[in-house]
Amino acid sequence: MTALVPLSAAASPDPTPTPASATAVSALLEVRNLTINYASPRGTLRAASDVSFAIRPGEVMGLVGESGSGKSTVAMAILDLLGEAGRIDGGEILFEGTDLRRLSAAHRRRLRGDRIAAVFQDPFTSLNPALTVGRQIAEPLVQHKGFTPRQAAPRVEELLAEVGIREPRRIAQSYPHQLSGGMQQRVLIATALGCDPKLLILDEPTTALDVTVEARIIELLAGLCESHHLSALFVSHNLGIVNRICNSVCVLYGSEVVETGRTRDVLARPVHPYTKGLVAALPRITTDRRHRLSSIPGTVSKLSGASESCVFAPRCPFAEETCRRLPQALRGDAAGNSVRCWKAEALAGTPWPEESTASRPQAAPPARTAPLVQVEALRKVFGERRSILPWLRRDGTVAVDDVSFTIQRGEVLGVVGESGSGKSTIGRSLLALIEPTAGTVLFDGADFVKQAKEGDRDLRRRAQLVFQNSAASLNPRKTVGAAMERPLVLAGRQGEAERREMIAALLTRVGLPAAYADRYPHELSGGERQRVNIARALATDPEFVVCDEAVSALDVSVQANILNLLADLRDELGLSYLFITHDIAVVSHIADRVLVVYGGTICEEGPIGRVLRPPYHPYTEALLSAVPRLSGAEDGPEPERILLEDSTAPPGGGGCAFRGRCPRKLGAICDERAPPVQTAADGHRIACHIPLAELAERASVFPELAALH
Amino acid sequence: MLLYTLTRLAYLAMVLVVMSILVFLVTQAMPGDVASMIAGQFASKEVIDAITVKLGLDQPLIVQYGRWAAGILQGDLGRSLVLEQPVAPILMEALSRSLVLAVVALAVVTVIGIGAGVLAAVRRGRMADQMVSGVSYLGIAVPDFFWAIVLVLIFGSYLKWLPTGGYAPLADGFVPWASHLVLPVVTLVLMLIARIARLTRSSMIDVLQTNYVKYARAKGLPEKVVIVRHALRNALLPTITVLAIDFGLILGGVVVIETVFSFPGMGRLLLFAIQRHDLPLIQATILIISTAYCLANLAADLLYAFVNPKIRHGMGNA
Ligand SMILES: Nc1ncnc2c1ncn2[C@@H]1O[C@H](COP(=O)(O)OP(=O)(O)OP(=O)(O)O)[C@@H](O)[C@H]1O
Ligand code: SF4
Ligand code: SF4
Ligand SMILES: [Mg+2]
Repeated sequence: MTALVPLSAAASPDPTPTPASATAVSALLEVRNLTINYASPRGTLRAASDVSFAIRPGEVMGLVGESGSGKSTVAMAILDLLGEAGRIDGGEILFEGTDLRRLSAAHRRRLRGDRIAAVFQDPFTSLNPALTVGRQIAEPLVQHKGFTPRQAAPRVEELLAEVGIREPRRIAQSYPHQLSGGMQQRVLIATALGCDPKLLILDEPTTALDVTVEARIIELLAGLCESHHLSALFVSHNLGIVNRICNSVCVLYGSEVVETGRTRDVLARPVHPYTKGLVAALPRITTDRRHRLSSIPGTVSKLSGASESCVFAPRCPFAEETCRRLPQALRGDAAGNSVRCWKAEALAGTPWPEESTASRPQAAPPARTAPLVQVEALRKVFGERRSILPWLRRDGTVAVDDVSFTIQRGEVLGVVGESGSGKSTIGRSLLALIEPTAGTVLFDGADFVKQAKEGDRDLRRRAQLVFQNSAASLNPRKTVGAAMERPLVLAGRQGEAERREMIAALLTRVGLPAAYADRYPHELSGGERQRVNIARALATDPEFVVCDEAVSALDVSVQANILNLLADLRDELGLSYLFITHDIAVVSHIADRVLVVYGGTICEEGPIGRVLRPPYHPYTEALLSAVPRLSGAEDGPEPERILLEDSTAPPGGGGCAFRGRCPRKLGAICDERAPPVQTAADGHRIACHIPLAELAERASVFPELAALH
Repeated sequence: MLLYTLTRLAYLAMVLVVMSILVFLVTQAMPGDVASMIAGQFASKEVIDAITVKLGLDQPLIVQYGRWAAGILQGDLGRSLVLEQPVAPILMEALSRSLVLAVVALAVVTVIGIGAGVLAAVRRGRMADQMVSGVSYLGIAVPDFFWAIVLVLIFGSYLKWLPTGGYAPLADGFVPWASHLVLPVVTLVLMLIARIARLTRSSMIDVLQTNYVKYARAKGLPEKVVIVRHALRNALLPTITVLAIDFGLILGGVVVIETVFSFPGMGRLLLFAIQRHDLPLIQATILIISTAYCLANLAADLLYAFVNPKIRHGMGNA
């Protein structure tokens, strides 16, 4: 097979660059004026217009922007994987000086997986469920390097070892579903590395992973890019990660590049108004419930062709008449950064306008009276099966084990932990959507589970749920208004006219025009849908809302909007929330207190300000240290990261749930006895065998917090 | 996997016991009295009573069932009242002919149906796809007896290329055997292929949109490898189930087709038994048909589990 491969595809790992033009020598990949359109039933949709950037050998470039800004489209175009609907309508993609568009499709295919390799977002769906991972890793080697599958086996094991898998031989023989998410992503990275590529296309390679796993994968990728002198295009919406791994960054907005330059410059001193907004909208550890996040008003408008004005003009606080008359061009400066805004120089020092907080009622700290929600020794076991036939008996998984906590009126209790740690089960048990295996849930002094079983409508009305997948939670065939009817009836609003009025009021309350009542879900953006979900939850006039990853699927600017909205509702209506999230920055922004859960148990609990500072539970410390941050060089050196092993199922039996991954494990005591709950100041409690005093000796993960009181 | 197979076999045994009870009860409820049928139209009451006692028909139902079931477990399926010979050899002969029909027809359906489905999915929306869709639609919309009659008229009566019906054992030579099979097989293929092609097409379209197919392309694999190794393998899962069930259906007899072509398979045997009120034959035939059907289903599930590592390995540590 290799005999047929022309020169550049069969090139040895160390090719001599073909000097085609001056730029080709310095840039490994150069994208010039790339324009891509999608043919859709509703007409042509522009997904990339006039996109230009260059990646030098050894450089990692971040491609950031909101959902739908065209990031993946550009990445797929480089791989020639746009699919049938997508069409490149102009521009060049120069790889090692050769325009890929001029090559034959077969030639491009031979570069793919060999010189240009890829890792996609969701490792689980990127692996074929029917083939062993070893076979899948070997495929590019067999295809491009002429290995036989047998010859490839040792190389596969070598690759698996290189990406940090400890038992490469065993793992090579397993099937994807037998591996954890982190391992699967390592397998994909091993696949990509197989043929010693020059360029990696990484499309959100860690978005589907837990924070602690993400931190390790990023570390691995950064190390590999350095040791192999790899270049990469790193598609991401997470500015913290881009800041961690990318040398340069390219910001897309509405299918155009609005700003590109060195990561340090762009993220620390953004010049384009959109980048300024994006950075300002990011919730930070250092802000708390008194702060309001900056947000970018409005939504992205879909483009169908070349625009007549600055694409960002409808949402830009600095827009002037000129901006609406002229399309903007990307203009570079001496340092190699470019911006698509004619006012760039003038705006260089101007920050994104802050939201006014004047009109907002000052949040009163939650009153320490009788708690609204009281959870005692909650336990939930899933999938337990009893049977007379011994082989049909199954133990089940313990999702929540002996969890107790309280929530005051007007208090926001955050719950953080990785996927599968039992966060959602706790939330659902509180609303009696799941029947606990043991324990009690008291709502305003009454036994919620029992009342709900007896059909107590009023309790159902007083506690509501807003969850993550805003698209799935709305019926596509019902208008927004119709979707809100039922909860209103539940709340005892009988009159039709009264309900109409209420719906309009609720929509206005969450910042949507009342006319949205007649829209269908598909006519709304993700953020608007989440607002509708919140409006629907508010329809019953609840006192308590469980927000299960309510902002996780949203873009930063939209997330800021929703977080502000939730904070306002708390302050104006005195709502209490159980706020479940995997994002520490979000929880530190909105929560008063926080529970850190691992393997179904609470390992740490306390006021947010205390949990973010030592003493830390060993898991909390690792979790916090894994959070990617935007802190620039000015904030001093980044503290050492604590990297955990890839997640393993928490071991059953007695002992500490975290003992399988704990970097500070003491020994047998952790295996045998459940850790004692130690109380520090202010209701800050840690469940660990290590004495508090010793835990307190660790350095703070967030030195910047020390500056605050 | 072994545990899984054992559990499934236990279920199968339970299903068959229940089936046998149902079959027994239903045939008891059928009109007509066995003893008077054996005795003939003009027999005296004494003769009929004597036969009744001899056959044990005066005993309680549960005893009768017990005797019947015990016989079956020892391989004795009873005696046909009409043909006046043991049921077992008759059944085996019909079953073997149905088996030949099923194997040949399904082999053709598998190759052509899956091929057409894959082609249609890969060329989605183009000529090939539209042709496959059009032909499938015809196959599903037109009833099987129509095809059977048309084929008999053209190839049997008009062109006289093939026999219009009947069956020749392989012992008579390959050509007579094969020529008798052609028309029933073609009719069966026309009847079954549309569903297989459409099913394969739709699951193939789903699989072609998955991330792992996209990733296989990102590895630079040629399209042929992507389609066969990555897509088809997973897309075949639902098709396998349907094929196995179809196999069970043909084994159990396709009455219309067997009648039109006077093909002496299970379907015609059952029809014959019912028309003649041959209770032992009815009972045995239905029991065998249900067993064949259950076994085909079991085979489908095992095959599915075998092709799908998620089930295969999941079962190991259950
Ligand atoms: N196959 C397709 N057919 C039609 N339109 C498409 C197709 N794929 C993407 N689009 C549209 O093209 C635009 C850019 O999409 P793209 O997937 O590149 O965005 P993205 O920046 O990667 O977003 P995300 O962060 O959500 O992954 C969007 O408006 C999207 O709806
Ligand atoms: S050109 Fe005008 S509208 Fe566009 S980003 Fe610059 S200031 Fe804002
Ligand atoms: S109890 Fe032991 S294993 Fe658990 S967190 Fe503390 S030191 Fe680690
Ligand atoms: Mg994308």
